[in-house]
Amino acid sequence: MSKELEHAFVTELENNQNIVHKVCTLYTNDRDAHNDLFQEITIQLWKAYPKFRGDAKFSTWMYRVSLNTAITLYRKSKKRVQTLDYDSVIFKIKTDEYDETEEQQLKLMYEAVKQLNDIDKALVFLYLEDKNYTEISETLGISEVNARVKMNRVKTKLKAILNP
Amino acid sequence: MMDELELLKRDWQKKEHNHPKLTYNEIYNMLWKKSSSIVKWIFIISILEFVLPHLLYLLPSSRNNLDLFGSNGFNYYFIGFSIFYYLVVFYFIFQFYNRYKEITVLDNAKNLMSKIIRTRKTVKHYVIFSLSMILVTVLLFMLGIYLNNDFTVLLESMGENAKKMSPEKFKNTLIIAIGIFGVIMVAVMGLIYFLLYGLLLKKLNRNYSELKKLEL
Repeated sequence: MSKELEHAFVTELENNQNIVHKVCTLYTNDRDAHNDLFQEITIQLWKAYPKFRGDAKFSTWMYRVSLNTAITLYRKSKKRVQTLDYDSVIFKIKTDEYDETEEQQLKLMYEAVKQLNDIDKALVFLYLEDKNYTEISETLGISEVNARVKMNRVKTKLKAILNP
Repeated sequence: MMDELELLKRDWQKKEHNHPKLTYNEIYNMLWKKSSSIVKWIFIISILEFVLPHLLYLLPSSRNNLDLFGSNGFNYYFIGFSIFYYLVVFYFIFQFYNRYKEITVLDNAKNLMSKIIRTRKTVKHYVIFSLSMILVTVLLFMLGIYLNNDFTVLLESMGENAKKMSPEKFKNTLIIAIGIFGVIMVAVMGLIYFLLYGLLLKKLNRNYSELKKLEL
């Protein structure tokens, strides 16, 4: 592959790397795993890059490849010891505008989201990223109606966690 | 009350800048790292599944066994059997190649999973076929030895112990040994295969059934 292609790809990914980081944060529990998944997603994106003809936005295309890698292709390497430090670092960051209760609520919600299964997580992730149901259903390969139904179930689940 | 998920969304988007930031060079270096995706593993294991049983035929001992049948009409059956066998093997390789080529990370999640599962099914059917063929081959050898009464050539090549045996006893021992060897080999290969894929596809199967459940 040509140098220009490499350069174009790395630049695009560098600018949009947040999408990949967010997927990694949701699907892994420690820094090593995060980096490992990030690397696998990068490899998959790079392998698929020649097929990306610019008919979609690079970022749109990244959602699909990143989620497919996290849900389907990625194999956890056995060597790592799983710890829970990392996500609490990411999610616990204090923001001044929030009062204690809201912060506590958010923390609970992040924990609840992390406990969802891989597919529900993908749904919630796309929702949090402000994707509409058409995009969500197209990314996951399910119907729009089913995506909505499932989303409502997740909402109920979160509500139940916050208002026991 | 505000939708909980909306609250979460607002916060999620606020935290946009809290993620690590990799440099151009760090990302560039990742391009040349080796992938460890399950598709790659399925490919490697499948190639092994296709190649390994054929390596057995290259062993000198199995060639000798083939010579054993050279003297009688058994040879023709064996050639016919081999032609049938390789036709089926090539059919499987062709099918596998086509399905493997269909797998793309650009597909939606459900299609991607179902294509991986279809590819693996091809290999599964191939392995079942291949293992049954090994059993059939073993049975043919056993039958061949049973029908063959001239063991002088084979006895010559064996050690002193074999020469001391009566031809009848030698024949029975050989048939039983080949039978046991065949069954153990098939069992071990089958076990390895199902363990490997079981472990490899645990997550995929779980997520695929989760997606299918959404469609109900």
